[in-house]
Amino acid sequence: MALQHLEFSYPGIPGASIPDQWFHSGVVGSGDMEVLLTRKEQQGKVTVKVCTPVRGFEQVWDKVLERFVLESGCGDLELEINDNNATPFVVGLRLRQALQDARGGELA
Amino acid sequence: MNYQEGQNHSFLEATARERANLLVDEGSFTELLGPQDRMTSPHLPALGEAVSFDDGVVTGVGRIGTRPVFLISQEGRFIGGAVGEVHGAKMAGIFRLALEAYEAAAKAHPDNLDLYRPAVVISFETGGVRLHEANAGLLAHAEVMDLIQDTKGKLPVISLIGSKVGCFGGMGFVAAATDAIIMSPQGRLGLTGPEVIEQEMGKEEFDASDKSLISRTTGGKHKYIMRDCNILVEDKVADFRRALCELLAQPYEKVCACRRIGSYELVKEQMDLVALAAELNPGDAKDVWRYYGNEHPEQLPELETAEFLRVVHRRPKEVR
Amino acid sequence: MQETQQRQWDTLRQDTARRLAAAEEAVGAGKLVKAKDTVKLLEAVIHPGDKINLEGNNQKQADFLAERLCRVNPEKIHGLHLVQSAIALDSHTKLFEKGIAEKIDFSYSGAQAGKLAQAVQEGKVKLGDIHTYLELFGRYFIDLIPRVALVAAYQADKDGNLYTGSNTEDTPVVVEATKFKQGIVIAQVNEVVDRLPRVDIPGDWVDFVIQSPRPFYLEPLFTRDPALITDAQVLRAMMAIKGIYAEYGVQTVNHGIGFDTAAIELLLPTYGEQLGLKGKICTSFALNPHPTLIPAIESGWVKNIHCFGGELGMEEYVKARPDVFFVGPDGTPRSNRTYAQIAGHYAVDLFIGGTLQIDEDGNSSTATATRIAGFGGAPNMGCDPHGRRHASQAWLKCGAESGTAEAALGGMPRGKRLVVQLQETFREKMAPGFVERLDAWELKEKAGLALPPVMIYGDDLTHIVTEEGIAYLHKCRSLEERRAAIRAVAGYTAVGLKANPKETRELRASGIVKTPQDLGIDPAKANRSLLAAKNVRDLVKWSGGLYQPPGKFKNW
Repeated sequence: MALQHLEFSYPGIPGASIPDQWFHSGVVGSGDMEVLLTRKEQQGKVTVKVCTPVRGFEQVWDKVLERFVLESGCGDLELEINDNNATPFVVGLRLRQALQDARGGELA
Repeated sequence: MNYQEGQNHSFLEATARERANLLVDEGSFTELLGPQDRMTSPHLPALGEAVSFDDGVVTGVGRIGTRPVFLISQEGRFIGGAVGEVHGAKMAGIFRLALEAYEAAAKAHPDNLDLYRPAVVISFETGGVRLHEANAGLLAHAEVMDLIQDTKGKLPVISLIGSKVGCFGGMGFVAAATDAIIMSPQGRLGLTGPEVIEQEMGKEEFDASDKSLISRTTGGKHKYIMRDCNILVEDKVADFRRALCELLAQPYEKVCACRRIGSYELVKEQMDLVALAAELNPGDAKDVWRYYGNEHPEQLPELETAEFLRVVHRRPKEVR
Repeated sequence: MQETQQRQWDTLRQDTARRLAAAEEAVGAGKLVKAKDTVKLLEAVIHPGDKINLEGNNQKQADFLAERLCRVNPEKIHGLHLVQSAIALDSHTKLFEKGIAEKIDFSYSGAQAGKLAQAVQEGKVKLGDIHTYLELFGRYFIDLIPRVALVAAYQADKDGNLYTGSNTEDTPVVVEATKFKQGIVIAQVNEVVDRLPRVDIPGDWVDFVIQSPRPFYLEPLFTRDPALITDAQVLRAMMAIKGIYAEYGVQTVNHGIGFDTAAIELLLPTYGEQLGLKGKICTSFALNPHPTLIPAIESGWVKNIHCFGGELGMEEYVKARPDVFFVGPDGTPRSNRTYAQIAGHYAVDLFIGGTLQIDEDGNSSTATATRIAGFGGAPNMGCDPHGRRHASQAWLKCGAESGTAEAALGGMPRGKRLVVQLQETFREKMAPGFVERLDAWELKEKAGLALPPVMIYGDDLTHIVTEEGIAYLHKCRSLEERRAAIRAVAGYTAVGLKANPKETRELRASGIVKTPQDLGIDPAKANRSLLAAKNVRDLVKWSGGLYQPPGKFKNW
């Protein structure tokens, strides 16, 4: 019953982080999620912590996150995700939007 | 979204954080206990419920002109904006900060305090107590009610109600205890939510699937006619902000004159209303609107806000 | 010769006459029967084991008569065989619980889908067949001929003439099948008037008229609140418009129910306009009066719409747009499901809708293991009509692209209907839209069906649109290639995870799969701000106040 905590790590691009120390995006609505991006110099690595009520989708999280890191070309980042039943499409979209906004400096 | 664009957006669709940033002067909002503090609910994980870094409420301080504005902005998308332990403590904390700021302002600006008087602004979007942590949530309601009493005579507390969930449950009481309420027609204010009324009293008494009925009973236009809402604005961030700025520009006593409760006269007014309701025994809000001189009550919901404000007859201050 | 002379040729008529005489004894003479005498009337004219049609579909319902039929004495009347479009009301399932009815042949079940499945499993209902509307209508004239029909109309006059207006729907076909085989027709009406706006059903085809104490139930099934459309739906709608409607120049269309198709309708005046598609796509529809189509109609996109039924709240709008809708000489609209289904089957180039599950071969179903949902009319539109002989640009292009036509027909040119499924790879609560085995198989076992209930078969399906891309399935040359194309757009579902990246790249290169990028669409920019109306109130404004939404959708 309890919430699940998942952790992932991917090789990213050293230096391809975000301009500010941290950036927050999204709302933990039903079928949605929030993400907190934090700058973290770790040889380009992107580390991800997911907190979710949904069980049995570790492999899907891994694939979605791996694809995001690969396609967005980010690195030296920690992502902390609070999920509430977001679909893989929504997860991918929110992560791309968050990174875009973090780099464009738009109002959250 | 930048600040200017954001002003043109629907208040109804804006997130709590967008509202907080957009209601005060551009760039002036500082979030306190924001997501980076990761202050999540200690109760939800054991129940397997998703958590949020801000526990569903954005709190912080900004400026409107020369005045510090302490903001509480609830997020309905997270568990319906329900008030749990952290959420409630953040609300209470904002009141305490505002009261401290008041003491400082009173000391620093004894002659022109109105210019520097802090304000508390609550952008409600909540169904009241979070059932998963109900004891803590209830306590938080009581604490906030108490703190509102501490503000009396010192600083204005303004309610903004125009978000999707509306303002229901115990927070409906809290809103009623603030000094002034600004709503949009899309705003909803009440105690027992529509679904609960239907569940308890039956579909014949209240059909919660009838959205038009919900609007006529709890919506901004009805609350404006009944004087539960002081200022009715269009569903636009800029319109809420403008109304808020204009209200805060008034002398403090004028803001206090908007209150619904808190004096012998106001209690008498409310009691007269109760008696009138028993006498009229209205079957629908439209019956009350007609009673107050609106000849075609069925047309009021259809009118655009500006036109509505031009033609509507509100309840007079004297109930009858 | 001898035998022929002795045989009586009008036994049905004689039986009907006896039943009508029994009715006269029970409730008195005359066509108008009081509501309180309804049960007596039903007990007089219905016999055990009769085939009964209780009119109703996914829109209007003869709900008063259905509810009264539940009150007949099961010792007198039992073992009825319901032959009707829908099993949609509590009272319909109650007939089986009480033993009044024992068998059902139907098309659509909607809200009763769960109860029906349960009743079948418990042996309380003998399930005949699950049909499409047209198929069932056909059987009304062959082997499922109703003995008594209980129908609904807005108004009747004293002679029994009926006005069914914008919700004419199934009434003509039900009444004709019943009456012309000497059956009995009973109508519930909202009011009895001296003069009808027009006669939709002639009075001499109607035996009894009962003024119902309340108007017949009407489900606003086709209304979608634009406020609930998601960004993902906007994205799929943009992909469909650019990658299919524009690509094939689709002029004649049927839209299934759902938020995805509502999003398409609301993007025509904005995104469609930007792409310069006005007049080039979506000019003619076989479609219910969807409120979300109002902005496109008002912006001049739509030439004409023929409706299956009426939609609650749209009556005045439809009436005021006779150039677009089918409106009678009296100035009020009429619908006729039979004709609209024929139009949808033969005369439109594209069907587009959503489903619950698609399997690896492209078969799709809305059935789950615990719900017998039925088909409605979708399969008649979600298929390639093999009797079609007229040509159009979209139909010809789709046929010319077919990867298997040559193997089947040699060099003979033939067109193909575009049959499109808009599918979210995962729905709410992470329910996958693509599965290795349809739940329909489990339902087949549990409910003892002859076939798994498949809404659209894989060989009819030409396109799947998901957030991941569009699969142009008809271009595939083999089942293996088709499976690869489905995997390529199935996202992170168990089916999608089997996709081979190299294979997907090849499919993209050959135009069998197109991702949003291939179509020039940025998913991050697909959002609700593109919708021509963002809520129901906007729709009312677009309609100039003519659309009057029911309370369920009117949040002001």
